[in-house]
Amino acid sequence: MVLLLLLVWQVVTPLLETRLIPMPLDVASFMWDEIRGETLARTTVWEAFGISLARLLTGLAIAFAIGTPIGLAMGAWKAVDSFFKDFIVVGLAMPSLVWALLTGMWFGMGNLAPIITVVLAALPFVVLNAAEGVRDVPSDLSEMGRAFEMPRSRVVRHIVFPSLMPFFFAALRYGLGNGWKGLVLAEVWAATNGAGWNIRYWYDAHRAAGVVGYALFFVIFALIVERWGFEALSNRVFRWRPSTDRDVVEEDLSAQPTKIPQTQEA
Amino acid sequence: MATIKVDHLSKRFGTGPDAVTALDDVNLEVSGHTFVSVVGPSGCGKSTLLNILSDIETPTSGRVSITHEGTAARVGYVFQSARLLPWRSVMDNLLLVQQEKDAAARRRCQDYLDMVSLGHRTKDYPGMLSGGMQQRVGIARAFSIEPDVLLMDEPFSHLDAITARTLRRDLHTLWQETKKTVMFVTHDVGEAVELSNRVVVFAKGGQVREDIAIDLPFPRDPANEQVAITKANILRKFEELEMVSS
Repeated sequence: MVLLLLLVWQVVTPLLETRLIPMPLDVASFMWDEIRGETLARTTVWEAFGISLARLLTGLAIAFAIGTPIGLAMGAWKAVDSFFKDFIVVGLAMPSLVWALLTGMWFGMGNLAPIITVVLAALPFVVLNAAEGVRDVPSDLSEMGRAFEMPRSRVVRHIVFPSLMPFFFAALRYGLGNGWKGLVLAEVWAATNGAGWNIRYWYDAHRAAGVVGYALFFVIFALIVERWGFEALSNRVFRWRPSTDRDVVEEDLSAQPTKIPQTQEA
Repeated sequence: MATIKVDHLSKRFGTGPDAVTALDDVNLEVSGHTFVSVVGPSGCGKSTLLNILSDIETPTSGRVSITHEGTAARVGYVFQSARLLPWRSVMDNLLLVQQEKDAAARRRCQDYLDMVSLGHRTKDYPGMLSGGMQQRVGIARAFSIEPDVLLMDEPFSHLDAITARTLRRDLHTLWQETKKTVMFVTHDVGEAVELSNRVVVFAKGGQVREDIAIDLPFPRDPANEQVAITKANILRKFEELEMVSS
C-alpha cells in the first residue's frame, strides 16, 4: 500500500504543472543529506528532533504533574468538578494553533513558548481522563477491599491505581498527539531551533522537499512511537486482559465428579 | 466460638416519603458450627444485612457485632460475582487479602485453591477462567484468610445449575472440615435446605418471619422425601409472605 502510494506520487507529480510538489526521490535524497548531517540549516535533523523531543517531554511531564491532581480531585468531589469543568471544555475546544500564537506573543522566542504550548494542549486531556478514571474505579472491588479489611494503602495501590491505567494511557496518547502538534506550530512561530523551526527554515528557503521531508519524518516518528512504544507498553501493562485469540477455556464439568471425592478425602 | 449478633437493626435508604425500609428491627443470633441461610423474596433486605455485617454499609439504627472468643472476629466474604482483581493472578488475588504475605499465607492459599480444584491455575489471570472457576477462586479467597465467620451473598446465583451444584458440594465439604460459622444469603429455597442447619425467612419490608432449624442428615439429596417436604414447607411460607406483602 505504501509502496503503491509512493509510485503514484513519483509518476503523477511530473505530469502536474506546478513545481512545488516534490517527487519522492527528491524528498528521499534531501532527507538523506539531512540525516547524514549535510544541511544548510543551523541544526541537523537529529539535533532539531532532540530539542523538540526534550520540549515535548518537559511539557508533558508538567501537564501530568498539574493535570493529574486536578483530575483526581474532579473525579472525587463534585464541587471541584463543577469548578473546573468549563475550563476543561474551553481547553479541549481551543485549537493548539491559538496556544502556539498566544504563547509566542507572551513569552517571545525561546524554550518557554513551545513548552507552555505543549502543557496547554495536553492538560485538558490529562485532567479529563484522570477524572473519568476516578469515577470508573470499580466500586464492587473497593467494597471487596473493605469487606476483607484491606489496608488503605493496598486498596490504592492494587485497586485504584490499576483501574486508572487505561485512562492514564488515553491521556498520554492524546496528550502526546495534541502536544506534538502544538509544539511544532509554536516552534514555527516562536523558537530559534527545533523541528518546527527547521520546517520554517526550508519553507522560507522555498525548498518544498524540505517541508515534506520533515513532515514525513514526523509521521514516521509518530508511527514508531505508536507501534513500538505504546503498543508494547500497553501489551505489557494490560497483559491480564484475555486476548481475543485466546478464549476463556470453559471448565470441563465431566471431570468434576472425579475431583470432588478427592477434596473430601483431603 | 464465633458469634454473629444482630440487635434491633434497621436500615432505611433515602429520606422523607421516598425512603425505602430495607431492614426493620431485625434481631438474630448465630453462633458456632452453624450454616444459616437467609431466604426471602427480592428486596427483603437480605443483601443489606450482609453488607452491614461486613461494614460495607452503615445501619440507620441498631447494632451488629461479629465476635470470636470475645474479640472482633475475622470475616470472609463471598459475593454474588467473584469480584477478583482482573489485573492480578489467581494466587495474588488470594495473597492480597492476607494480613501477612509470608510463606505460611502462600501455603494456605495454595491449599484452599487445591481444595476448590484450582491448584494448577494459580498463575492465571481471572479473565482466563470461566465464571464458575472465578467463583471458586472467590470461595477459596474467603476461606484462605482463615475466617471465624463466612458471609456469602447469593454466591451461586449467576452460575449454571450443574456448576452451582458442584460448588455447593464443595462448600458443604469445606464447612464440615473447617467448622466455620456461615451466613448464606439466597433466594433459592432448595439450595438453603440442601446446605443449612438453620433457615431464617425474611419478608418484604425487612422483617424476620420464620426461624427454622433443619435437622436432617448430610449430604442432602434434593430427591430425598424429607428434604423435599422441608423445602415444600418453607416454600409455602414463602408464598404466603409474598401474598401478604403484595
